[in-house]
Amino acid sequence: MKKHLSMSLLLVFTLINSVLAQTQTVTGKVTAASDGSALPGVTVLEKGSTNGTTTGLNGEYQLTVSPNSVLVFRFIGMSTLEIPVNNRSTVNAQLETDQKVLDEVVVVGYGTQSKQTITGSTASLSSKDIAETPVTSVEQAIQGKAAGVFIQSNNGKLGQGIQVRVRGTSSLSASSQPLYVVDGIPITSENLSGTSAGTNPLADINFNDVESIEVLKDASAAAIYGARASNGVVIITTKKGKSGASRVNFTAQWGTSEPSRHRDFMNAEQYVQTMQRAGQGAAVQDFAAGYFETLEEAQDYYTSYVNGRLTRYSAGNEDWLTGAVNTNWEREAFQSASQAQYDLNFSGGNDKTTYYISGQYLDQTGIIVGNAFKRYSGRINLDNKVNNILNIGMNLSFANTQNDRVANDNAFSTPIQIVALSPITPIIDPRTGLLSGSLPGEASTYPVYYNPLLSVDNASYQTNVYRTIGNIYGQLKLSESLSFRSEFGLDQLNQNENSYYGQLTFRNTGTQNGFSEDGYTQVLNYNTNNYFSYKNIFNDDHSLDVTAGMSYQYSKTNSNLVQGQQFPSDAYRQISSAALISEGSSRETQYSFLSYFGRANYIFKNKYLLTASARVDGSSRFGSENRYGFFPAGSVGWIISEEDFFQDINVLTNLKVRASYGLTGNADILTDGQINNFASLGLFSGDAGYNGVAGQRITQIANPDLKWESTAQLDFGVDFGFLNDRLTGSFDYYRKNTRDLLLNVNVPATSGFATQLQNLGKLYNQGYELTLNSENFIGEFRWSTSFNAAYNKNRVTDIQGQVLGTNDLNRVIEGQPIGVFFGKEYAGVDPANGDALYYLNTENSDGTINRATTSDYNEAENVILGNPTPTFTGGLTNNFAYKGFDLSFTFQAVAGNKIYNGGGQYMSANGSNGFDNQTADQINYWNQPGDITDVPEPRLWYGNGTAASSRYLSDGDYVRLKTFSFGYNLPKNLISKFKMQKARLFMNAYNLFMVTGYKGWDPEVNADYQASNINLGVDFYSAPQPRTITFGVNVGF
Amino acid sequence: MKLLNRIYIALLGVGLTATLNACDEKLDLSPANTIEQSEALLTSQDVKSALIGAYNRLGVSDLYGGRIFLEPDLLAGQSAIAWGGTYTGLTQIYSQSIPTNNTFVSNLWISAYEAINLLNNVLGSIDKVDTEDRDRVEGEAKFLRGLIYFDLVRLYGKAWNDGDPATNLGVPLVLTPTSVIDEESYVSRATVVAVYQQVLADLTDAKVKLPASNSFYANSYAASAILSRVYLQQGDYQNAANEATTVINSEKYQLVDNFADEFPYPGAVHVDNTLEDIFAFQVTPQQGSNSLNEFYASSDNGGRGDIEIKSSFIAQYEEGDERTSVYYDDAGSTRTSKFDNMYGNIKVIRLAELYLTRAESNLRLGTTIGDTPLNDINKIRTRANLSPATTVTVQDVLKQRELELAFEVGSFFHDAKRTEQSIGTLPYSSPKLVFPIPQREIYANPNIQQNQGY
Repeated sequence: MKKHLSMSLLLVFTLINSVLAQTQTVTGKVTAASDGSALPGVTVLEKGSTNGTTTGLNGEYQLTVSPNSVLVFRFIGMSTLEIPVNNRSTVNAQLETDQKVLDEVVVVGYGTQSKQTITGSTASLSSKDIAETPVTSVEQAIQGKAAGVFIQSNNGKLGQGIQVRVRGTSSLSASSQPLYVVDGIPITSENLSGTSAGTNPLADINFNDVESIEVLKDASAAAIYGARASNGVVIITTKKGKSGASRVNFTAQWGTSEPSRHRDFMNAEQYVQTMQRAGQGAAVQDFAAGYFETLEEAQDYYTSYVNGRLTRYSAGNEDWLTGAVNTNWEREAFQSASQAQYDLNFSGGNDKTTYYISGQYLDQTGIIVGNAFKRYSGRINLDNKVNNILNIGMNLSFANTQNDRVANDNAFSTPIQIVALSPITPIIDPRTGLLSGSLPGEASTYPVYYNPLLSVDNASYQTNVYRTIGNIYGQLKLSESLSFRSEFGLDQLNQNENSYYGQLTFRNTGTQNGFSEDGYTQVLNYNTNNYFSYKNIFNDDHSLDVTAGMSYQYSKTNSNLVQGQQFPSDAYRQISSAALISEGSSRETQYSFLSYFGRANYIFKNKYLLTASARVDGSSRFGSENRYGFFPAGSVGWIISEEDFFQDINVLTNLKVRASYGLTGNADILTDGQINNFASLGLFSGDAGYNGVAGQRITQIANPDLKWESTAQLDFGVDFGFLNDRLTGSFDYYRKNTRDLLLNVNVPATSGFATQLQNLGKLYNQGYELTLNSENFIGEFRWSTSFNAAYNKNRVTDIQGQVLGTNDLNRVIEGQPIGVFFGKEYAGVDPANGDALYYLNTENSDGTINRATTSDYNEAENVILGNPTPTFTGGLTNNFAYKGFDLSFTFQAVAGNKIYNGGGQYMSANGSNGFDNQTADQINYWNQPGDITDVPEPRLWYGNGTAASSRYLSDGDYVRLKTFSFGYNLPKNLISKFKMQKARLFMNAYNLFMVTGYKGWDPEVNADYQASNINLGVDFYSAPQPRTITFGVNVGF
Repeated sequence: MKLLNRIYIALLGVGLTATLNACDEKLDLSPANTIEQSEALLTSQDVKSALIGAYNRLGVSDLYGGRIFLEPDLLAGQSAIAWGGTYTGLTQIYSQSIPTNNTFVSNLWISAYEAINLLNNVLGSIDKVDTEDRDRVEGEAKFLRGLIYFDLVRLYGKAWNDGDPATNLGVPLVLTPTSVIDEESYVSRATVVAVYQQVLADLTDAKVKLPASNSFYANSYAASAILSRVYLQQGDYQNAANEATTVINSEKYQLVDNFADEFPYPGAVHVDNTLEDIFAFQVTPQQGSNSLNEFYASSDNGGRGDIEIKSSFIAQYEEGDERTSVYYDDAGSTRTSKFDNMYGNIKVIRLAELYLTRAESNLRLGTTIGDTPLNDINKIRTRANLSPATTVTVQDVLKQRELELAFEVGSFFHDAKRTEQSIGTLPYSSPKLVFPIPQREIYANPNIQQNQGY
């Protein structure tokens, strides 16, 4: 059957090939209608073909076309002009200035399409939206700029995991990150970190090479990516050269970052007072429990115990009595962080060949001590027209990133956990003159915890990534309307993670005399796309655009790790010097996708639009019975403004309505945060040895019925333009119904398995998106505004009555959004005795809720406490330009979410959970009967009010000035003396200020060590975002 | 049309043929780090490897990596230990206020049944084991299953002597391997009696089938020793004394000369069982874990130092008792050095306990099975460098038991339960002194009934 197919295809090509061609040469000059000046770089196309050229410096062109063809002249910022050749040999063109940029061509899956005729929902961003943003990765640069695309960094560490959600989270146990396609090739984007703090493989991409970013949001746009598209698709297209003079562009910027916010902790006096009070609180409880004969005995015990500890944490002296030492440890976690970035690119070409060559060096220091990120990257994009029918090209990028990392948020050694140290502890131990916690000294019990500053000089943890992403393509014009494109892409990622923990870190590693890990991960990911494109117009009114083809992707990951302990001294850091090799392993996993896809766009009279697409995906991740999934989509559009009856309406210049419906899938099954490629199998693992004897264990229960998770999405949209398109925008309503959730279902653990991966459950995301763009002023003073806002409602509708969740409060419950905070409702403090109280929230016999309070945590019912995901997200960008000056800034906002301070049980624990320093607000603790406060009585180790509850929840709304840039272009007549085309001085700022009610470091947070689809909105000693200001210069030759 | 173009198109045809042939078999990928269950238990070697895996799974930190002994002591040992750690789940246990979602309680349950399922897989494939090894493999699997069910029923069910064990709920008894999740997976809790019967059946069968010597794996004396502990918990003193005598009379084990030598710490390295150890979970840098080290040892010795020993407890040792040598001052905190070796084995049972069990049983029965209570108790006293006693009461034995075995096997909790001693102000039968059934299990299985008080 397959052989027959290929034979017949061959036959078809041969027939097509026999169309006779007759050609002539046309020359001409393109000028601007406004002032008659020559326009270089105008695209001149033979209509309905890919045959084209661009005008030279003097605006002139030459092109070989058929005598009765139509020439299309296209230039950004000008209205497109079509002129029939009519056997002429000279065709000049005058282009009108046009504010109407709607008719630009945008990249879609496996092709391009005129934006005006698109019936799907996409968000488009161009290089100018992201250029020179002083951040590490591309998602950070587009934060707040695309409606319905929610982007959130886990914390302020560099190069770390970022959550991107297109129209909400549509999976529970499978990945919810979008598919990333760079120049047609799906790239490796999953976290490869060896620790629970995720890293971001997109940080290997120099986003200054990016020409455009399209986020495909609805089924019509995304379904051509079928099984990969439920979470949206981000299509990144890199820059290409343009024929004409060679251009050189150089940009350099330098700047510094500091933490965007600080958090206040108790000073020495407050700390001593609280801890002593906590001892007395515990004495009363101990006596009541019968552990002491008399209250006095209990009090004496605790006085001596607490004072002994205070002396210990005060470096063994009694300075704590006088407040002589008052260390603000919080400030010690941070540093003023410098950064530098250099970008150089060359582009140009001629009629046959164009090129874009770039290089970048980025050197960022983190605001967290010990954190840094460096990137060296290069790119070559080449395109060559071999002859009239064959184009070939390549895109190749290579990068080396070096990330000096700090431990995950849950580690004693992560710098922010330094806040747990006592303010009575000096930074330098006066007994040794060394950093507190250093040897010699009482380093195992002093200070209260491991001092993270010891890791700065005595430990290192570097992740080095070598990344090559490249593809080659050939495009064959089989006839005027039919072409075939073949692409082969390779994404190769080599990662080395190397860490060393010196002798002074023993309290953190639990290992004397040094500890080291070294691991390599290699991901080989290759992909081929082969497809036909057919474009034609019949009888002037019927336009047809068909794409059909196949793709195959294969990815294999190999990794190994070796761990050593016992080094002769800290001077030896390689594992060859370790006396004990404590661990070694190697791993391999792989997956493949085989897919067939097709799409047809039909346009009638340029106003009635119809698109249908379908994809069949086969995946190695499912058993042979359920291996293939079918993902169709269809959409319709009506450009009302093209109707005759509309031509008299002058205010509303453009109006299009559209609707789409379709199915997409998801197969990125996650187990413990890693992609599970073999989730349907019952598995044994041989990693269960015992005292050196090999053993095996059972790791996974089979589910041969496992199949694709699928999402059906409905979208209604309207695109509009007012006042000659000075104000444009679009509005969308969508509903995404996800069913057959790939879910780690809790099964009775008595079976030997805690969970089984099943297709169980349903959820939906429903929302609205509004995008507005306006040119407020045009002319010498220009002011434009972009606004986007999105509302998303996420609801889990069916998980068969289960309650899922593993951390303190995030749960999955039917009728609630994913990860909803569910637990005990804190009711403040009993004025009579200082007990923490909780609302019972039990149901009375009459159906009402019992709002009485209890001090017994277990007696209180668990109730819904809030949504961890913002329901509203938005952004507002303003661009101003006057003469040589330009100013641009973007506000980003989220609302409707709560944040849980997972560290509250330690840092805001009213001294009831040990000797951690407390947040400053804890000084308002209950002290004596009658006190009205919401901070319970301090009772050392009694955990009074420290269990997970709404006590540690706060509103997460914020508005942030995300990016700000101000630039000045030196006058042309000045710089032309130096043969420069462009010289711009600029200042960029990132996270300049924020308005929020959140009391923690930063409301843009999700504790890295536990972040998942379900574990959301948790702050756990998470680093705040940096506030960065850079100054730079951009010159072009 | 130029010739060149025809060549391109011909090449395209060839390329298409090649790609379209690249088909379905490209989707047949197999895991490399794991194997499918259908290939896992085919040979005698496979089944033996699964048995080794069961030792590994029982040795995880939540079980015999130490926490199965640590957690009951936290719940009942407030007179001896001061908890000062930041694991909220353990603070909840120490303060005798355990929410049903306590992660430690939940993880212990999950880990235990994971190991039980592996053991059931071994027993379900026992006919594949070579005949010469079959009894040994079956014996070890049953020993391990009996051991873990005994600890589960003592933690998640009421004490044997608390009310009617024939109606009190224990834990679900799962005795066959799980290959699919179906209706049979939704089990109910068996009674305390039913679980004890299964424990006794498994251990008795193990005792018969196991060899007398079996390297560091369970042997028949290990089965007798655990049987002795089970009978004592049930107040079946006759059988407790008999089984203890079986082990003592074998003369396979002996008390080490110096008490501190029972807890060797030549460095952070694996150490083989001592002469006194009857059964211990092996810990090496590569395999096994030592959670007693994690919580009791100072950070100098690789622990978190979360638990301090109260001076009032140490004051109970008589003057000159050499057993106080396992306590030391760590910058003002008193700690025990019993677990200072982070790669030290987790002792499940050692000979000293059997002398104490036999002495108590004989005293309660008024018998001298094996030897007199005075002789037995003086074995313990003499080794501790104390003068021999001339008389002995049950209280004396219980005191020696507390001082001898402190922190090792959860005896603060289990002994208080069987001797019906109050813990602080709570009576031994308080529902707060029984673990809750994990909330996740209640959610996942509607047939599971929660314990009283939760």
